[in-house]
Amino acid sequence: MTRMGFTIDLERCVGCQACVIACKVENGTPRNIHWMRVLEKEVGEFPDARRTFTPVRCNHCANPPCVQACPTGAFVQRDDGVVLIHDDVCVGTMACLTACPYYVPVRYDGGGGYFGRQLTMYEDTKLSRHREGTAQKCHFCYQRLDAGRPPACVEACPADALNYGDLDDPDSVVNHLLQRRRHFRPREELGTDPSLFYLVGNGGGSVGGMDQGEAR
Amino acid sequence: MTVMPTKVAHALERAWTGWRPERHSHGNVGQRFDFAFPVQRHWGARVAFYLYLGGTGAGFVFLEVLLRWFGVLGERTAAVGMWLGLALALLSILAIFDHLGPVVRWSAYFAFRRPRTSWISRGVIIVTTLVLLRLLVALPTAPGAGGLPWAEGTVLGTLLRALVIACALAFMFYSGLVISSWNAIAFWNTPLLSVLFVGFSFLGGLAALPAIAWVVEGLPAMRGVGAVVWPYVLALLAANGIVLALYIHGMSTATRPARVSVRMLLEGPVRRRFIGGVVVLGLLAPAVVVTSEVIGLLGGDIGAAVLLTGAIAAIEVGGYFLRDVVLRVGVYGPPV
Repeated sequence: MTRMGFTIDLERCVGCQACVIACKVENGTPRNIHWMRVLEKEVGEFPDARRTFTPVRCNHCANPPCVQACPTGAFVQRDDGVVLIHDDVCVGTMACLTACPYYVPVRYDGGGGYFGRQLTMYEDTKLSRHREGTAQKCHFCYQRLDAGRPPACVEACPADALNYGDLDDPDSVVNHLLQRRRHFRPREELGTDPSLFYLVGNGGGSVGGMDQGEAR
Repeated sequence: MTVMPTKVAHALERAWTGWRPERHSHGNVGQRFDFAFPVQRHWGARVAFYLYLGGTGAGFVFLEVLLRWFGVLGERTAAVGMWLGLALALLSILAIFDHLGPVVRWSAYFAFRRPRTSWISRGVIIVTTLVLLRLLVALPTAPGAGGLPWAEGTVLGTLLRALVIACALAFMFYSGLVISSWNAIAFWNTPLLSVLFVGFSFLGGLAALPAIAWVVEGLPAMRGVGAVVWPYVLALLAANGIVLALYIHGMSTATRPARVSVRMLLEGPVRRRFIGGVVVLGLLAPAVVVTSEVIGLLGGDIGAAVLLTGAIAAIEVGGYFLRDVVLRVGVYGPPV
């Protein structure tokens, strides 16, 4: 079996947002819709203040609440664990938006481009891939995976903070990282079995300046 | 597999709502990349209407069939109660499909596809079955259809009525389960919410029956039905108040997103709707009026009937506000 997974090294992430832009370019996501985000938080006080960065995206959970909640069967999980939306089956019920504890899916209802209703040629081409009134989210760049290439965000990361691979393969990059580094998964207690791991090194379990216990 | 040509769906959508592409997308959209406790915005008034109308409609049908069975309700009152219950259930279906999205309204059958995992699928199947079954039960009363084998008093008729009661009960539970089954929003993720919604559905259905009896069969019928119903309404008001207090208290000591929801409920923009609409209008004020009736302070004149009808209206408004405020204070936890 193959189960595609993802690691994010919080000690390496410098908050450059290259992954956000790479995702936008690869997938042509509409205005204001980001499948990849880097959350920022300021912690501490002067002179010890610092800014922390936490990339977030679809966790491609093994037990995905969005797939269960979708009444139309538009959400499907591939054999390699990647969760996809068939936008020709999606009818925009927004059940996935409510069910996902990471509030990842969004419903695209149009809204023109970055320069108003008149789309640029680039936007016209890219937005034609997205069907209005349907949900969308990160699909692990499955078209690149199938071609043997890494997801756009992983490829673009200059700090090597993002990695991906087969969690069921003991020799994969992600498994090597998980064996070496302290790690945790986002809101694991909800039983979603996410395929995304945050590496925290020796720095303890703080994310974005928020102690994990604080969020619970 | 294509649901419907997008252009056709959008043309129908424009005719229905005036929808234009510049409408904002839904969900976690925008430019703010920060940690927060975002409030869900996509389940609003229309879902609250769906939960209220569906729950109360199911309560109506449940009680109308049950009380008619036990001879508490007259035939005409029961018939009007049934049609009212069905109308509410049908309106609830319209409300949910109006909410479900610009395409689903015109491809509604797609919402029925995944009852094994999706609570929305289960809900639309239950409420549709309820409406169809109740219409089937009512069919022998139609002119010229008296010979059908499931008329009142037959084995088949009794079986169908039992199925109607089971469907109505299932929908009342469903209206709470649909949101409590998801752990994304801590404030909803408790079985107590289902109990609360069932209690308010029963209350909404039961309290309205004396008013229907008054309108259909006159003041004496209202007194007759009320003599049986008011003590139960009072008990339900008390029980719902207790369950609501337990729910809020439980959430105020639960996880941080749940505590944020409680703070929004008691101190945020919906506090007037919750305290004024749900607690005072929906529970306390009707409790005072119904208690006065139960202990015999009100008498049997038309003034008392008007006061009791006002209490019934307050209960119904409170029932809607409960669903509305519960949805509006749904808060996600941080994604990490």
